[in-house]
Amino acid sequence: MTLAKHIYQMLESVVGPEYISDREYILSAYRRPMPQIDKKPVSPQAVILPGCTEEVQAIVRICNRFHTKYIATVTSLMPMAFPSEPGTVILHMKRMNKILEINEEDRYTIIEPGVRHGQLKPELMKRGLSYPVASVGPGASVLANFTSTSGDHHVQHGTSRTNRYLLGLEWVLPTGEILKVGSLASDAGWFCPDGPGPSLRGLVKGWGGQWGSLGIFTKIAIGLDPWKGPKVMPAEGHSPSFKVRLPQDCHRMFIFKFPTLDKLRDAMIEIGKAEIGHAVLKFFNATAALLATESANDFWELWNSGLFQRELARPLYVYLATWSREEMAYEENVLKDIIEETGGEEVDESIRRIYKDNMDFFIVVGFLQRTLRLGGGWSPTKLSGDSISHMFEVGKAIPEFMGEFIEKGLILNAPDNWQIIPMEYGHLAHIELLFLFDRGLPNWGAIPLAFMKKSAETDIRHGYHASMPPNSQSLMEQLGPLYSNYHVWAMKIKEAFDPNMVSNPLP
Amino acid sequence: MMCPGESIAERFKDRLAEVTTTANVVDDPRVLAGYSKDHSFVAKCRPWLLVYPENKEEVQRIVRLANESKIPLVPVSSGSPRFHGDTVPSQGGVIVDLSRINRILKIDSRNRYAMVEPGVTYGELIPELKKQGLRLSAPLLPRPSKSVVTSRLEREPVLIPKYQYDYLDPLLTLEVIYGTGDDFRTGSSSGPGTLETLKSDKVNPWGPGSIDFFRFVSAAQGTMGLVTWAVTKTEVLPSIQSLYFIPIEDPDRLTFPMDQLLRRRAVDECLALNNVNLATILAEDWPEDFKELKAKLPPWTIITCVGGYQRRPEERIGIQKKSLMKICENLRLKPQTTLPGAEGKETLVLELLSSPWNKEPYWKLRSKGSSRDIFFLTPLSKVSKFVGLMKGVVAKYCYSSDEVGCYIQPMVQGRGCHCEFNLPCDESNPGEVAEVQKLFMEASETLLENGAFFSRPYGPWADMVYGRYAEGVAALRKLKGIFDPNNILNPGKLCF
Amino acid sequence: MDALENYVYTMVSCNHCGQCKWILGPKMRGWKYAEICPIHSRYHFDAYSGQGLINIAQELLEGELKYEDGLIEHIYTCTTCGACDINCKSIRDMEVLDTILALRARCVEDGQGPMPEHKECARLVEKDHNIYGRPHEQRFDWLSRDVQLSEEARVVYFAGCATSYLHPEIAHNTARILNAGGMEFKVMHAGEFCCGAPLWRTGQIEASEKVVRHNLETFRSQGIKTVITSCAECYGTFRGFYPRIAELDFEVLHITKVIQRMLKEGRLNLRKNLPMKVTYHDPCLLGRLSEPYIPWSGQIKAFGYHDPPKLWRRGTNGVYEAPREVLKAIPGVVLIEMTRNEENAFCCGAGGGVPMAFPDFALWTALERIDEARSTNAQAIVSCCPFCESNLEKAIGTGNSTIRYYDLTELVSNAL
Repeated sequence: MTLAKHIYQMLESVVGPEYISDREYILSAYRRPMPQIDKKPVSPQAVILPGCTEEVQAIVRICNRFHTKYIATVTSLMPMAFPSEPGTVILHMKRMNKILEINEEDRYTIIEPGVRHGQLKPELMKRGLSYPVASVGPGASVLANFTSTSGDHHVQHGTSRTNRYLLGLEWVLPTGEILKVGSLASDAGWFCPDGPGPSLRGLVKGWGGQWGSLGIFTKIAIGLDPWKGPKVMPAEGHSPSFKVRLPQDCHRMFIFKFPTLDKLRDAMIEIGKAEIGHAVLKFFNATAALLATESANDFWELWNSGLFQRELARPLYVYLATWSREEMAYEENVLKDIIEETGGEEVDESIRRIYKDNMDFFIVVGFLQRTLRLGGGWSPTKLSGDSISHMFEVGKAIPEFMGEFIEKGLILNAPDNWQIIPMEYGHLAHIELLFLFDRGLPNWGAIPLAFMKKSAETDIRHGYHASMPPNSQSLMEQLGPLYSNYHVWAMKIKEAFDPNMVSNPLP
Repeated sequence: MMCPGESIAERFKDRLAEVTTTANVVDDPRVLAGYSKDHSFVAKCRPWLLVYPENKEEVQRIVRLANESKIPLVPVSSGSPRFHGDTVPSQGGVIVDLSRINRILKIDSRNRYAMVEPGVTYGELIPELKKQGLRLSAPLLPRPSKSVVTSRLEREPVLIPKYQYDYLDPLLTLEVIYGTGDDFRTGSSSGPGTLETLKSDKVNPWGPGSIDFFRFVSAAQGTMGLVTWAVTKTEVLPSIQSLYFIPIEDPDRLTFPMDQLLRRRAVDECLALNNVNLATILAEDWPEDFKELKAKLPPWTIITCVGGYQRRPEERIGIQKKSLMKICENLRLKPQTTLPGAEGKETLVLELLSSPWNKEPYWKLRSKGSSRDIFFLTPLSKVSKFVGLMKGVVAKYCYSSDEVGCYIQPMVQGRGCHCEFNLPCDESNPGEVAEVQKLFMEASETLLENGAFFSRPYGPWADMVYGRYAEGVAALRKLKGIFDPNNILNPGKLCF
Repeated sequence: MDALENYVYTMVSCNHCGQCKWILGPKMRGWKYAEICPIHSRYHFDAYSGQGLINIAQELLEGELKYEDGLIEHIYTCTTCGACDINCKSIRDMEVLDTILALRARCVEDGQGPMPEHKECARLVEKDHNIYGRPHEQRFDWLSRDVQLSEEARVVYFAGCATSYLHPEIAHNTARILNAGGMEFKVMHAGEFCCGAPLWRTGQIEASEKVVRHNLETFRSQGIKTVITSCAECYGTFRGFYPRIAELDFEVLHITKVIQRMLKEGRLNLRKNLPMKVTYHDPCLLGRLSEPYIPWSGQIKAFGYHDPPKLWRRGTNGVYEAPREVLKAIPGVVLIEMTRNEENAFCCGAGGGVPMAFPDFALWTALERIDEARSTNAQAIVSCCPFCESNLEKAIGTGNSTIRYYDLTELVSNAL
């Protein structure tokens, strides 16, 4: 389905011939199936590279006029970043890539969509500042993560999720008007996203993000925290065997194992109440093995040794980062008290060494995509959040459905491959279950769907808030009634703000 | 003479009797008078009726009835005195007083939250939390009859910035009855299932799905929905605390120390008061104590508190103290454990930081019986600019600048700040009221034009703010059209 | 050579993470100099990237994409610098660059490629055994009388086309260094043909194989056990392409490694003071793409297990330290690193046949690199490749830059 010539010409007149294409070989890069699903994305009709907000606005208006659907994307890392329906053009936001301001005094930065974690993080580190980086790798868009997608990170315990850090927005609504929210509404700067009055910022993100279905964000401000580490990433060695070590006087990493999930949960809760720990999490064990190895074969050697299954079935990772040695001594003492009370002990030194030598695990997680090393068949599920206690309830119920898939050889035998990341000193927590499947199996495409369905059914049966229906109309209609009929309100909002249904309609 | 709405009111009163007990429906003019005005410049307007629902189902039925009859509803949860004009009807209608929906539904000390109904006040909740070793990050001296739910919904600033991660924090999830009469639960309260079958602790505020529904009812002055319960964070009660006071002469030097302390998370409570407000709060015998304190207190006092919790509290407080002293030393400031100008009142200050106001009248009314408050948000770095601007405006009026109270409350880890000016006002003196009103309006305009963010646009601020925000008004009206299509919820407020 | 079909696993494994376009996390230093793919930096569409090219390869194989106008130009705009390949390999088991090269080979097989300029290059190599079409007999004109050769030596100095014809001073300085360090060596004279790099990297496998076999036979017949070169392209080709044709029974060394060894063993003395601040540009085929190619054939089994196990070329053991140690050993030289260095060095723009077919883009790329070099406040940019030299000097010449280019051999020779 090609884009009508007159529409193409109008769009071309906005950005110039260099920045629009409907050539098949250009489009091919935006329609390849992701390795984790066997469904081929719909091909866009054209790809456009806008250079400024005014161009975005003009493009959106043209799309509304001609009922051409559009979706904005930057990295296109996830399947939801692709068009959901035929007749869609992609606005690839790469050219809008400036860091517009870093305000060290008021602690925020203003960025455009094309700014990547690998650019923003080091600029802020130089200035003794930081922000929550989702674990997606350095090439991913900061703005997309903050406004449009989900994504948690390892250092949420002493901070929080990106939701809390989103400040001012400049937003091209689905119909082409430009809306500024929060303090920008009164020309009072970028520091506050809520108001005046009811917060329109509520339309953005929720837990999982709109994935481009409510317009396009062209600038955002994000709040910044102080950074206690070095100004430059202290990496030694060569790819892929980098070492990133932080000064031990104020940066220490511990990994403990616990005999039961209840004891692990108790330790996590107590650490939160004590308000220590920059990062605290129960991490995946198979994923940990993937991150620690440099090839699939290396992974299998490690995994077949059983070390990670034994040591990291019920692990607690703790990264203490302090301003002074004295604070470190205090936090370490409190940590030891808690671990002793809850029956934890340190894991094998070989595992601890891996993390001490690679503290990038807590900075930008540059090697995160190793998760896909086993052929690319992977999928996360659950992905929502609530209290630490509740997340552990959810975790304990995983064997109820996961075992069947393992026994049938449909997924990797990794029943403990789930993580819980607490945030805001343990006031709430996020859970993610990652399962890995072999794309060489016949009918492998059915595995992730079947697994996620069973996972969701288990949660629903128990009354656990662990996952939300994905952004698909049919699933939302099916499951929405279980969640306060949120889908009804979401659809009304969609219809009100996108009456022509051109902004990446839900599949 | 009958008011235009009275016949409608009569009919509606009969219908309300089907919903709740007749004792809960009030049309006594003396009682209604109490809702017809408050300590703001919002025009007086007497409601037609007052109803006290007792549970969510009654609220829902009232809203449905109001939709059928197109009767305005004005929700109220807190007792008087009230200050913002949001509970004064603009178009008559029925006051829905939620104060009798007042159960503390749950306190969870492990997961640190409380689930409360709208009628639960700070006066009721704080002592109950204390019994379980918990506390709230609460606003400064709320009145004891202030609804915790309303306070959280209205994004009132709280005393401990390090616990606040955004402007809606510590509000978590809630249940709301929209203007359509539909009920809805937000975040991880949404499901799966009913409240009875749902096992979550209801502490994840985001969602459900891709929308933060809880944000639409925040600072909404009851125009989007009536909240029938909410979950709020609670914190560990410190086992030991130490107050430190930093006297400041020049307002230009006021906010940087707070910024530095908060970057390091060196302190828990952190706020600044000028001598007028601090004296008003601390005075025992009025007015002698007040005058003496006002004269002796430094122009500004930063009040900070460090604490030890349950584990190694002395070690913790020692480190916090050291950190605080070092930061202040670098700024050539000397924090003191005694309150300069009010030595001996330190224990009182500590009590006041953790409790509602417990005297009569409410502290803001002590000076002249009433007060008009101007408050807005700003980054900390710009506070002194606004202090200067306010001083400039006050100087043009027959109002002494040494009567103006000021309260600076850093928010959200110190990345933002609530800046408040209190103008005591004698309401029995029409001349003074008129003068204060002019001053109030000019000051508000001046502050707004210079970058003050009136994030909670009460009363006359609504026109000022929304008059400059056409695209936002259009968007808000779209939402209003969804959640309250008949505009029965507090019409005339904000931009509705 | 592996057929394009052999890279289907790579094609279907890509998940759009963007690592092929952006600097590795541990190397990130700021907003500027964070992109590592020249075509993506210049043209922005995802199709201009390692990811984009393997997507094109997949669609061509599946028949979804046909040869259309502009496709061949698109495929040949890439400098084949391999930054995408190495970055992808930091996290995945994929062969991005080999897929791109196999794609080019497929275009040539299908009669659609390469670019006319590349075909002409092949014709010149066939005729004159060099890529410039210059007389073959002039190849060793750089060899002056003061160079001492040893006909019994088992070490050969392979100058390469670019050195011999465009930058003979590199060859002369190299010979001088080898003599000074007491290394006995010979040259192949008329036996030295083009190493085959420009043909290999433009997909002209048959043509490149001819020159490869010739050179291998020449080495064998002369009993050569060590090949020294001062050209990164030749070095990377000997190590990365030749083993695909035949097993090598000789060692390949770059002159920087030789100098490093000589310095360690005290056989070379750098006495003269050369006070200057320099920055070093890692040539692609000396750095990240210089590890020896080890043929693998087998099965990729469940969950990505390679049977038999595959030895991956991930750029870990590229020649990074040797040139740096040599520079630091020169009295007066102060080395300042660019942000994009070592395995993340930004291409100079001279590889993959790009200067022949797309001189504007080659120049653009070089200008980007010179801009980065200038940002270090270095007075000079140093490298070890005549192709890099040609392209970077062109860029220096077009601007107002006062930065100079030096080949490392010139500095070492001057310091003797």
